[in-house]
Amino acid sequence: MNWLFDFFGDAANWSGSGGIPVRVLEHVEFSVIALLFAMLIAIPLGLLIGHTGRGAVVVVVAANAARALPTLGLVVLIVLLVGVGTTWPVLVPLVALAVPPILVNTYEGIRGVDDDLRDAAYGMGLRGRQVLLRVLVPVALPLILLGLRIAAIQVVATATVAAYVGLGGLGRFIIDGLATKDFPSTIGGAVLVAALALVVQLGFALLQRLVVSPGVSGRAQAR
Amino acid sequence: MITFEGVTKRFGDGTVAVDNLNLQVPTGAVTVFVGPSGCGKTTSLRMINRMIDPTEGRILLDGEDIRKIDPPALRRGIGYVIQAAGLFPHRKIVDNVATVPYLLGWDKKKARARAMELMERVGLDTKLAERYPFQLSGGQQQRVGVARALAADPPVLLMDEPFSAVDPVVRTSLQDELLRLQAELQKTIVFVTHDIDEAIKLGDTVAVMRVGGRLAQIDDPPTLLAEPADDFVEGFLGKDRGIRRLSFVPAGGLAVRSEQGIPGWSVVLDDDRRPLGWRAEGGRPSEGNGYDSPAKEGDPLEGPVLNGTRPERPPAGEARTRAAAAGLQPFGTVDLNKDSLRAALDAALLAPSGCAIAVDGEGRFTGIVTREALDAALARATGPADG
Repeated sequence: MNWLFDFFGDAANWSGSGGIPVRVLEHVEFSVIALLFAMLIAIPLGLLIGHTGRGAVVVVVAANAARALPTLGLVVLIVLLVGVGTTWPVLVPLVALAVPPILVNTYEGIRGVDDDLRDAAYGMGLRGRQVLLRVLVPVALPLILLGLRIAAIQVVATATVAAYVGLGGLGRFIIDGLATKDFPSTIGGAVLVAALALVVQLGFALLQRLVVSPGVSGRAQAR
Repeated sequence: MITFEGVTKRFGDGTVAVDNLNLQVPTGAVTVFVGPSGCGKTTSLRMINRMIDPTEGRILLDGEDIRKIDPPALRRGIGYVIQAAGLFPHRKIVDNVATVPYLLGWDKKKARARAMELMERVGLDTKLAERYPFQLSGGQQQRVGVARALAADPPVLLMDEPFSAVDPVVRTSLQDELLRLQAELQKTIVFVTHDIDEAIKLGDTVAVMRVGGRLAQIDDPPTLLAEPADDFVEGFLGKDRGIRRLSFVPAGGLAVRSEQGIPGWSVVLDDDRRPLGWRAEGGRPSEGNGYDSPAKEGDPLEGPVLNGTRPERPPAGEARTRAAAAGLQPFGTVDLNKDSLRAALDAALLAPSGCAIAVDGEGRFTGIVTREALDAALARATGPADG
């Protein structure tokens, strides 16, 4: 507990380029950019595969690769490839980490929509794209959001690796703290990462309420 | 008019779902495709809106080969109702009903107004408009399904076992509702079911199909019942064909005695001349205290309003108990202007007197149909044609 007070109570930790606000912002920035890239790749792909039923093998491969992927190894690999001084060494592994859960859940969400519903939608005269966007996506939205949430939390937790290659983010408190045996800094950094993950969780719960139809979530008053 | 010309559907695995189907679905009437599972009835239906395309042959819609029409455009002009209702769970009921009008580019206000009108038409409380599908019962969802199919006022309606997932009471009311709607709207309806009774009740024409996708017989229900083409059709029609055929013979031709009794029995009426029951004459005592006039002043025996749609129902609940306590025997009524010979026969069989009580539209006594009268009518109905 004392370490926490030492860390958060120290005015020096709250200002300057190595202060908490700046580090949080850096951390959020890495995370958001990585998540956006992952969404750009995984959502259209998941929708396409789920809708057409073709290429499901991609989803399986992606899901398995995700488990086997050594994030830290990937960071080092990218550094060796492009050198230090860019954010690629941290973005690429984070995107690679975020794509599988988004892809798998988007795919499963679309696939999982009741066949009768699909049948009715086509039978009403909706075209393929209209069926996807007006019926399948709204119905699959809870699962798609779940994938995004899992990805976002993993990304936020893993973005600490940026510190290994000298980039910013909350990882600096943890890794620098370990290196200099400054344990208050290590613990404080970890607490901040955990808090950020909680905020993400909360944000998605809120988003879910806003964008998922009450008819799908069952939130409308049953009567 | 929808015409099937030598239509065959073979699926990839070699199964023949529909085999050289030739038939015509007349405009403004209900045509039912009926048969056991695997007879290709649903496949045949789904070929009409191009959910499935035939392998061979062609289907004409008012003379035009539907293969020349873009499927989504074709489907927007054809109402489609499926067994599971298939409502969009994320949309409110009113927007579900307005699906096709929205697709056709109607403005939102007009589409919603139309949806509300349709909801009323199919017997749905418009208060349900702002609900979501999961908040409705199965029967209500099915009504929404019908309203949605009718929303853009398509001339053709395809119904794929629409009522088979709801309980029998709701099913009956949905069937009656459909008949009522059809009398108003006169759509060209193709209706698929595996239930021969439903087919006979709803169909102007019934097409019986057999496994392997071949048409076994197509006829109007009375002809189907009277003259099944072969053993398969006869077996599929099931037992009681003779009795069921009487459903199509109007009771209007029955001779009615206007007296309030027959030898040995008299009909007891309430103040409103509605029948309360039969009473045995000649002092045959029944369990009860045997007092003579149960309808006398101060005795509020009430007869139920029996219109011919349910002639088999004796006085309900308390009234029935009191009628029995008063020594009255059960009875059945028939409205000669509305009911069938089958209803008349049924009404007669319900009464120990063996006679049916004829009533008017209000359920008031108009006379008695004796066994002799029924006998004569049955002889006419089953005798040589034109009799």
